[in-house]
Amino acid sequence: MSTRAALRTFFGTGHPGLAVRDVGMRLSVDSAPAALPDIAAALMHEHGCGFATLVVEEDATGFVARYFFYARDDATLIEMVTHAPPGTELPAISDRVHAADWHEREVEDLFGIRFSGHPFLGDFVLHDQVWPEGITPMRREFDASVRVAQPGLGEDWRPRRLLEEEGSIAFPVGPIWADYNEAGLWLLETPGEQIYASQTRLFYKYRGVEKIAEGRSPAGGLLLAERFSGCAAFAHAWAYCEALERIAGCKLPPRARALRTVFAELERIRYHAATIAELAGATSLAVGKSMSQEIEERMLCLSAQVCGHRFLFGLCVPGGLAWDPATATLATLRAGVTDAAKEFAKLERLFVHTSSYLDRIEEMGTLKPDVATLYGVVGPVARASGRSVDLRRSLPYGAYADHPPEVPCEIEGDAYARLRVYFAEIRASTSLIQALLGELPDGPVAAECAAAPGTALAWVEAPAGGTFHWLRIDDDGLIRRWRIAPPGFRNWHAFHRALEGAAFQDFHIIMASFGLSVAESDR
Amino acid sequence: MTAFALAFVLFAAGALVAFAPVRKGAVGATWLLVTAGCGVMMVLAILAMLRDVTRPLVTLALPLLGAFGFELTALGALFVAVTVGVFALTLPFALRDSASFAPARRGAFVGLIVLTLAGMLALFTAAGIVSFIFAWEIAALGIWGLVGFETRRAEPVAAGTLTLALSEVGSLAGLAGLLILAHAAGGNGLDAIAAAAPTLPKVLVVAGCVLTFFGFGMKAGVVPLNLWLPAAHGAAPRSISPILSGATLNLGLYAFLRLDAPLARTDFRLGLMILATGAVTALIGIMYAMIEHDLKRLLAQSSIENIGIITAGFGAGFAFSALGHPVLGGLAIIPALYHMLNHSAYKTLLFLGAGGLDVATGTHDLNRMGGLLRRLPVLGMLFIVGAFCIAGLPPSNGFASEWMLLQSLLQVVEVSALPVRIVFALSGAALALTAGLAVTCFIMVVASSLLGLPRSREAAQARRAPRTVWMPMAILATACFGLAMVITGIIPALGRLTAPLVGADATDALAPAFFGHVQALSQAAVNGLTDLGAQLGRGLVPLRGLVVLHAVGPADSVAYAMSTALSFAVIVFLLFVVWLLARGLRHHRQVARRVPWAAGLVRIRPEMTYTATTFAAPARVLFNSVFDPEVAHQEQHRGAFLTVSRRQEVRVNVVDRLIIHPVTVAARFLAQTLAAAHHGQVTSYASYMLVALLVALLAVRYLIGS
Amino acid sequence: MANWTLASLVRGIRTARWPRRDDLPPGAIPARWHGLVATPAEGERSIRDAVWFAATPTSRGPLPRRFRHSVHVRFVDAGASGALISEVRLLDAPPYNMHRFGIFVTATPRDADVLLVGGPVTEAMREPLRKAYEAMPGPKRVVAIGDDAIDGGVFGKSFASAGGVAEVIPVDFVVPGCPPPPAAIIQGLLAAAGRITPQAFKERV
Repeated sequence: MSTRAALRTFFGTGHPGLAVRDVGMRLSVDSAPAALPDIAAALMHEHGCGFATLVVEEDATGFVARYFFYARDDATLIEMVTHAPPGTELPAISDRVHAADWHEREVEDLFGIRFSGHPFLGDFVLHDQVWPEGITPMRREFDASVRVAQPGLGEDWRPRRLLEEEGSIAFPVGPIWADYNEAGLWLLETPGEQIYASQTRLFYKYRGVEKIAEGRSPAGGLLLAERFSGCAAFAHAWAYCEALERIAGCKLPPRARALRTVFAELERIRYHAATIAELAGATSLAVGKSMSQEIEERMLCLSAQVCGHRFLFGLCVPGGLAWDPATATLATLRAGVTDAAKEFAKLERLFVHTSSYLDRIEEMGTLKPDVATLYGVVGPVARASGRSVDLRRSLPYGAYADHPPEVPCEIEGDAYARLRVYFAEIRASTSLIQALLGELPDGPVAAECAAAPGTALAWVEAPAGGTFHWLRIDDDGLIRRWRIAPPGFRNWHAFHRALEGAAFQDFHIIMASFGLSVAESDR
Repeated sequence: MTAFALAFVLFAAGALVAFAPVRKGAVGATWLLVTAGCGVMMVLAILAMLRDVTRPLVTLALPLLGAFGFELTALGALFVAVTVGVFALTLPFALRDSASFAPARRGAFVGLIVLTLAGMLALFTAAGIVSFIFAWEIAALGIWGLVGFETRRAEPVAAGTLTLALSEVGSLAGLAGLLILAHAAGGNGLDAIAAAAPTLPKVLVVAGCVLTFFGFGMKAGVVPLNLWLPAAHGAAPRSISPILSGATLNLGLYAFLRLDAPLARTDFRLGLMILATGAVTALIGIMYAMIEHDLKRLLAQSSIENIGIITAGFGAGFAFSALGHPVLGGLAIIPALYHMLNHSAYKTLLFLGAGGLDVATGTHDLNRMGGLLRRLPVLGMLFIVGAFCIAGLPPSNGFASEWMLLQSLLQVVEVSALPVRIVFALSGAALALTAGLAVTCFIMVVASSLLGLPRSREAAQARRAPRTVWMPMAILATACFGLAMVITGIIPALGRLTAPLVGADATDALAPAFFGHVQALSQAAVNGLTDLGAQLGRGLVPLRGLVVLHAVGPADSVAYAMSTALSFAVIVFLLFVVWLLARGLRHHRQVARRVPWAAGLVRIRPEMTYTATTFAAPARVLFNSVFDPEVAHQEQHRGAFLTVSRRQEVRVNVVDRLIIHPVTVAARFLAQTLAAAHHGQVTSYASYMLVALLVALLAVRYLIGS
Repeated sequence: MANWTLASLVRGIRTARWPRRDDLPPGAIPARWHGLVATPAEGERSIRDAVWFAATPTSRGPLPRRFRHSVHVRFVDAGASGALISEVRLLDAPPYNMHRFGIFVTATPRDADVLLVGGPVTEAMREPLRKAYEAMPGPKRVVAIGDDAIDGGVFGKSFASAGGVAEVIPVDFVVPGCPPPPAAIIQGLLAAAGRITPQAFKERV
């Protein structure tokens, strides 16, 4: 029995009160709040579904919360819809579906909906030292254009402590780092040398993208989609455009699908090159870092030659691509990728034969498979911890249905396993680009795609993992609600578990090995 | 004799007055009486040291026990002077604390202090083994009473019991050793034993030396019987800890010099044993001091370290003198004795400081202190002086003594036997490592208690330190400074005291003229000194703080030179230059005062700053195989959430783990086996008796036959 | 055992020559400077000739002469996109290697002459940015890089972002672009150091 059939049975017989709608690849279920945790836990643990995202929207009667799950092998999305009138609490599902932890904290901070049973609410997106109590920026009545007048706690803020040990301290790292790292605070709880607990305090870079997008035109939203992350701009632009296309019901020409796939894989290669460079830099392997950075720079230059921008901004538009690259340009791209693949192979050989380097990354920052599953991590981090999740295979989009990518998987879960996954993904992406460019369909690269009212969920496997964009376009053709679930938001959540037991000086290495962007996570 | 008795009468009167129900008057009168007694004793002791003759005080012949006499020797007088000095300086703080007690309790408190003092003075003047063991037990009882004085709390009572138990184990062993020696020497006078030592059978000398060294070494805190020390010093009332560390540890050291020195001179291996034990004690002491975060326990562990250094010096001296190098032997014992003086001064200072911090903050946990220098500037600065000295940083007295001691150990090149060289080299390395760790340890103490941010409310609202604490501390800091500066005056004095122990006065043998009148030095010696840069020191510094032990001869080619006064002058000069520069900069340039850069954090909170525990983490990692901690880790979950992670590392002292624990386990096993044998029938008991009788008969036959 | 030295020697020098911009490899300077939807300009000449940085109206000018040849820079991320971070990380990579100009990165603003700021300045980074600026010793200059840092860019001025670095601390030079490529950022730093001025730059071209 397929997962989809099993789910239908589960919803039909196990929970008779539920109204199940089967729309395309989506099973939509209306659920009472009280039943949520049980159903969510059953989806996760009995049917092996992955948690996608939680979308909360304010409507006339109160709040609508949509919990999205996806079957990992059956191209099925499950949407659980529940209504919460203002003032009510929703039951927390995150003590059983831990991947939803940060989603619930975010919703509590931004909408003011409390989740009963969640032990750590508050002081998450809106830091208590900056923002006053009781503001809910994502509510309709909140004026996003002006600064909130009242101050927060300021110097009275104190960090929460997890570790209880005589003489232990919470050693702060950030928010302004001693090198080029992104703004964020990590509190490393330690009795000295070894980190036994830690907290990741993000959202120093919270730019309120979801809020300021409201009321903007879809074209304006596209600019935000590319720029909030930047380093995975094409993936987010694609997911955003795909959501618009789904609402409008527009069909992409085959050439556009293939080229989007090519550029997404190009971005993945460049992103992983940067991660490999950072990891080499974190272990003070300067030559390795320089060589990786050089390849990264070549990929950036290649992107700029092909589309005029180093980070592929402005290339992806609703309906396809903004322009059709010339045949000569595509040949340059193909040659460049082939060259880079050779360089990567050389680099990998050098890395795996450097024992001093392997000493630093082997058994370092281990994220055990059970922890990875508990936290529902995504992307290369998950695939290095024995979790073979990849939206390109689970919920195929673009040209991936015809060209399923090779998904590498390692089980050790340490920094070295992640490094191997990065190199394997670069290889897989290279061969995918070669295959797609070799048999590129002719025809237009864009279809007409006028904005239409409605909602849609779209997803893309960004370089760091799956991203989900949920969009509602109102009757005026403007964005009414846009929910971005970036991969960093999922993986930073689990990051602290990889630090347990590591020494201070290994913190950088573990962080670099995760290859995550704070800007992407903070939005 | 009369002055001696007068002092004891004053002490007794002081203790009795303390029982008076008038609070203010009683405390004042007690202080006056006991301090007067201390003053009398101090004068007596100084006179005795100057005269350098042994004066009999009491000579009794008790029935059954034999001679029961007391006499004041020059060496004993040194210990008497140190003891009364420490007691007199600590007494105001003890009386301040006792002022809040009920009269009876106050009387008992003062009585115990006086009992301890009297016991110690009696021990330092004991002439025979009976008076020695009598005084020893008096002092032990006094210490037990003081450690466990706060009977309402479990910790001091347990610590007191442990102290008494180990003390009795030690004194029983020591007594056995003394009896063996006295029996062999044919008289119970200590001098008689010393005189007879070279002629006694080797095996008896070794047995007596080992038993008395480890037995009486217990009071000094020498391994393996030193587990009581951190417990007792940590749990004792805050005004008693300075006495315990500053004075009572010297009991053991005195026993080494008085009892073991003559024995160890007969066999160099005994000296090596003492040297190695001292080095091991020092290293273990400082390692455990590093990982302590309770200030009093930390200081107690550091006392173990210092006692280890002194003991190592004694051992080296005994070994040298047994190997026929009395001058080198003296050169090792002089710095050891000098170090003992220093340790008494700065450890009393530091413990008084710890007591003052306890008064101010109500805690002696370093992790709950921080930033106290701002609240307690005077006490803090005096505490820093003490820490500076104990860390052995130049030009402090601690540096001078440790430097001289290490120099002496290096003189082992004069000895040809390889095993001796190896023991010296390893001990020297252990002591050098100890010195390095001591610096780290006391940087940690100062940084985590006085500097940084206050890590608790008590520390943030620290009260002022009482006068009874910082005034004696100021006197002691001056004493430390004095000990460092007038080192050229102290070394010849100590040299005279050690002469009888090693058979030669090192300072007489080595560049004698230098300590008296420089002009009389031979041209060769002056040239040698010029090579060492000593000329400079002579010309510049009015205080003669230059240590030069110099002799260029075929047997002892020793040459050290070091100037505490000169290095002090250089440091003062450099500080002055820095001050001038800073002043100049401030006058000519704009000076911006800003809060420290905290990486953009809203504020550095106290819980984000280093504690003693985090500071010592590298040491814990480095010596992990020695500490071998047991980790108790417990996590609290709420669903998938981790809410609390609790960790605790329990470290059992390596001596306990490797020596005491196996011994107790074995003893328990033996007792159980014996108990099992007690469930037999009458016939089996009869057979035990028969076997016992047979063994006894055979033994008697063998002994009489031999 | 991998032989990194040998590998490096075999590869040879890969650093672009500088500052003759024509030596920069194709793609080092993007045709679409701000990443907006438009077909790439023919030949990319217009972008290549553009001035890559500008002095603000309130600019204090470059650093005094004696500070020019060893400039220490502190980068503050005040909400910058990952692309900008990625470009900043390439500043000291071999292709660009800003160290050859005597520009160095410091760990703390206490040692910095120039503050390099990216991002529209989010609410939570206002105070840290202000503190970093105040912690710097004078004379000091601020270079805002990227469209977001100049006026908030697409994020504009909102409840969460201040709408540009100049809203929080004084800015001396700006480097437009979304994100500006490393070559442009280096030109901005050189301008702050007083090593090039827009006029001199044009003369050199």
